[in-house]
Amino acid sequence: MLLPRLLRGCCLSSSPAGEFVFRRSPRCLRAQVREAKTHKRSHRQSQQDEWREKNKTVLTYIAAAGVGMIGMSYAAVPLYRLYCQASGLGGTAVAGHDADQVETMKPVRDRVIKVTFNADVHASIQWNFRPQQSEIYVVPGETALAFYKARNPTDKPVIGISTYNVVPFEAGQYFNKIQCFCFEEQRLNPQEEVDMPVFFYIDPEFDEDPRMARVDTITLSYTFFEAKEGQKLPLPGYT
Amino acid sequence: MSTAMNFGNKSFRPRPPDKGSFPLDHFGECRAFQETFMRCLRESSFDSSRCRLQSKEYLQCRMDRQLMAKEPLEKLGFKDLMEEPKGEAQETNPR
Repeated sequence: MLLPRLLRGCCLSSSPAGEFVFRRSPRCLRAQVREAKTHKRSHRQSQQDEWREKNKTVLTYIAAAGVGMIGMSYAAVPLYRLYCQASGLGGTAVAGHDADQVETMKPVRDRVIKVTFNADVHASIQWNFRPQQSEIYVVPGETALAFYKARNPTDKPVIGISTYNVVPFEAGQYFNKIQCFCFEEQRLNPQEEVDMPVFFYIDPEFDEDPRMARVDTITLSYTFFEAKEGQKLPLPGYT
Repeated sequence: MSTAMNFGNKSFRPRPPDKGSFPLDHFGECRAFQETFMRCLRESSFDSSRCRLQSKEYLQCRMDRQLMAKEPLEKLGFKDLMEEPKGEAQETNPR
């Protein structure tokens, strides 16, 4: 007669007939239920512990990801700056802009570009500022000269400082000024009129840039502002 | 100078000139050269390539009158306008 293992440790009652009767006595039943319950509880307990462990791991990963993102957003600023300098995106000065290039560059004769000139003054400055030529036809790789004229009609000396803009923006990185009159204070005496030259060239690599293939007009625009005495304006760019 | 700070909107970054700023010609010392240059430009319908000699003269005037830092004209891109013997004498280090 084989006793089921389940009933091991449990009481066994036999009938008077000597036959094995598998009957669950209340005590046995209780013990069985208790065992099942503790087994279930411990199972649940271990499951809960497992879940807790898993939760802890997941939370750690999430926290690490959060900290990582905050760190990356701080690191992005200098990294983007480096990337812009390397790739010349957004019109920033490409690193390795060679001053000796002027001497050795060859003009690209078959690409004629019209450079138009624009002059603006800020409302607070009373100069008459205008370009002396409305447009000029240049080729990349050749230096060119252009003139602006400024006149101070007032009876007081006025100090102006100018900045410039090149449209289209992407062409700005190819527009190199060798010398001009911007970013430094220029003082005009009363009733004085001066010629302001701009000496520039367009980089010969302009012709090889596919983004510039349809660009044949570049506009150079200067704006004069009034400078107050002793005001130190920072030079634009990342210096 | 961009007012909109959205990525993909390329903004323009002004760059300082390579050789700095021209001092103002308060006394009009090179006015004559400038007039010659402007006249040449108007006659050649604003083609810069045809007036390079006049622009070279203007810059030479500025250099002579201390209105511009003296520099060999080849460095300013006028190598082709320099006469042959003069060019050889003034040759700096060739590439």
